[in-house]
Amino acid sequence: MREIVDARGLPCPKPVLLTRRALQESQSVTTIVDNESAQHNVTRMAEGAGCTVEAQERHDGIYLHITRGEPAEQRAAPGRGPLVVVIPSEFMGRGEYEELGQLLIRGFFHALGEAEPMPDSIIFLNSGVKLVVEGSPVVEDLQAMGQRGTEILACGTCLGYYGLTETIAVGEVSNMYTIVETMLRAGKVVSL
Amino acid sequence: MISDEYTVILVYSTSHALQVEKVLGEAKIACKLIPVPRYLSSDCGVCVVIAGADKDPALQVLEKARMEIQGLRDI
Repeated sequence: MREIVDARGLPCPKPVLLTRRALQESQSVTTIVDNESAQHNVTRMAEGAGCTVEAQERHDGIYLHITRGEPAEQRAAPGRGPLVVVIPSEFMGRGEYEELGQLLIRGFFHALGEAEPMPDSIIFLNSGVKLVVEGSPVVEDLQAMGQRGTEILACGTCLGYYGLTETIAVGEVSNMYTIVETMLRAGKVVSL
Repeated sequence: MISDEYTVILVYSTSHALQVEKVLGEAKIACKLIPVPRYLSSDCGVCVVIAGADKDPALQVLEKARMEIQGLRDI
């Protein structure tokens, strides 16, 4: 039974969230949006989850006919699927000594670089973005991991807030949609 | 700082580790603060790794700065 999600007039990220919820209940979902940005985001979410999306422009909106893929293509079972590490701060742990937090995070990235399995993605948020810019003590460790295939994502909003966008030394500038998708389709998320 | 042979400098505390890092840095000797490898033991959980070739220059620099270290291991 095809479920209809009328997302016209709804602010982002509602169209994506409602569509995803509908896809949990039903194999076929038609989401109606009224702008290209919503179309783009819903399509990317659905295709990232293994669905096929057919877009139909009608006079009263853009109809996105989404069909879930084979069960094997659906969201990863816990433990199976990409390993994602989230770094929400330049420090590891909480306490009054920043120096200790810095020491710990340097040790963390050193150990992470030697560990199995290798993370598929590392996401840097908030003050964590300071770790991917020139002068950060962990840039070399991150570059080595990047060369072995780990995806390194740094939140663009955070880089901008700190005025560090131009000094990024490793990884790519990302956005909340990609960050949320990366977390949600992971098999395991390790967050400091 | 990639090299085939490394020397690990073991220290008594994290603040010693940071001091060693600073002193070696000022002497332009490449080093890295890492967690102590599991097969070694130390009073402190972090140690300073240098290229094996830099062992003698590093020791000289540390002695000149009167820095006490717990030990050295070649790996």
